[in-house]
Amino acid sequence: MNSRTQFYAFVALIACAFTSQAFAQGQSCISLKTTAQVEKEVVNEKGEKSKVLVPAGKVVPGTEVVWTVTANNTCKQASDKVVIDNPVPEHMTLVANSAFGAGSQITYSLDGKSFAPAGQLTVKENGTERPARADEIKHIRWQFKDSLAPGAMAIARFRAVLN
Amino acid sequence: MFSARLLVGLGVVSLLGLWAPEARAVGVPAGTSIDNTAQVTYTVGSVSATATSNTATVTVAEILDVVVTLQTPSVPVIAGAAQQELLYRVTNTGNGPETFRLQMTSVIAGDEFDPVAAAPSIYFDTDASGDLSPGDVPYVAGSNDPVLAADAFVTVVVVNDIPAGVVDGNRGFSRLLADARTGTGAPGTTYAGQGAGGTDAVVGTSGADGEATGQYLVAGVALSAVQTQAVADQFGGTRPLPGARIDYTFVVSATGTGSASGAVFTNDIPAYTTYVPGSLRLNSAALSDATDADAGDFSAAPVARVSVQLGTLTQASGSQTVQFAVTIN
Repeated sequence: MNSRTQFYAFVALIACAFTSQAFAQGQSCISLKTTAQVEKEVVNEKGEKSKVLVPAGKVVPGTEVVWTVTANNTCKQASDKVVIDNPVPEHMTLVANSAFGAGSQITYSLDGKSFAPAGQLTVKENGTERPARADEIKHIRWQFKDSLAPGAMAIARFRAVLN
Repeated sequence: MFSARLLVGLGVVSLLGLWAPEARAVGVPAGTSIDNTAQVTYTVGSVSATATSNTATVTVAEILDVVVTLQTPSVPVIAGAAQQELLYRVTNTGNGPETFRLQMTSVIAGDEFDPVAAAPSIYFDTDASGDLSPGDVPYVAGSNDPVLAADAFVTVVVVNDIPAGVVDGNRGFSRLLADARTGTGAPGTTYAGQGAGGTDAVVGTSGADGEATGQYLVAGVALSAVQTQAVADQFGGTRPLPGARIDYTFVVSATGTGSASGAVFTNDIPAYTTYVPGSLRLNSAALSDATDADAGDFSAAPVARVSVQLGTLTQASGSQTVQFAVTIN
């Protein structure tokens, strides 16, 4: 090992020690942001219709709101075992099969405690088990399989209708 | 797996426009804040961490929706009848308190006559009697417009006079209209900041106005009775001698499109005759002379008289045959 490589190894060690220490002191590596949007139909100059998402400020009952959670890794290290949890907002009903997030396994919960993949949640009714309906799902969980690299962003999204 | 799920999600959504309020009676109250906060857990190296997101909020806008429903089936009337009532219900099917303006009209195509709006022509059924009564307050546009909470309703009486000269079977329509004072328009029309609590007001599927049309039906009914009699004297002949018996038969029938409710047949026993006890019959069935559960009775005072309760008679009821007998004094 020559002196130059020794120098780089030393710098890398310092940098690593610095970020590890900073993280341990409570600095958050993932910045989480939630937005509410609604779809709006727009017509371009050719008369072609398309849907765009616009911020949802005030919505009427029956409106479908697109909730998007973005997780940004602001550290210089990868974050592992990234899990995003989001309750279905009060007064809203989850749109069945609307939750997605690239590279994540999605599970659902009726009570926020026990989670299961779609179609495996059951409700006991009149002594028998039946599959849970979308309107009974109160929590969604996205478990990302891969690490979130520095500067990378993970997206979790679902749709819910205002009751 | 992922792409299939995404496609399903988008497929469902593409069917829905921005404003696609369902025809539900009432949703989350206008002005309610819907909050959402997400949470993330992760590890960096061997250290676990948690973070929460900002709280994103949407505010529930006010839907302007109203439904007017007719509470009175076709109202039977006769020519020249005054103050004929139609009962309506105006329901706020939006999700916030709203003031509604009421209007009525009786000039409507498709009927045989135009009812004449009484003055005043719209009353609140203040005493909830289901009809026009002295305590009912007249509606004055702009003065006592009904203010209805979400899902609340008010019952309204519309009053018309029936012109003379209409004939049996004629129909006359009358309509009550209600519209939201905040505004009406195509569904989705937005009145920014004009909803309950300063939220937006958005016209719902009803267009924020509603109407219902009632009907008066000229339903005349005429009751007629055809009388026949048979005399039997005590000598085997048919002479009306003292002691002879007279059997009377009355055939009562209703004609017309209406119905005669509480029809009662009465007949005074002719002078110089005496009722034959137990001789009263309705459609061949014997009726007791006493005032009791059966339909007929005979009373000796103050006037000797037979009476038979015929109930509600319509043309479809067919004829009713009443029989009784007297003897000549």
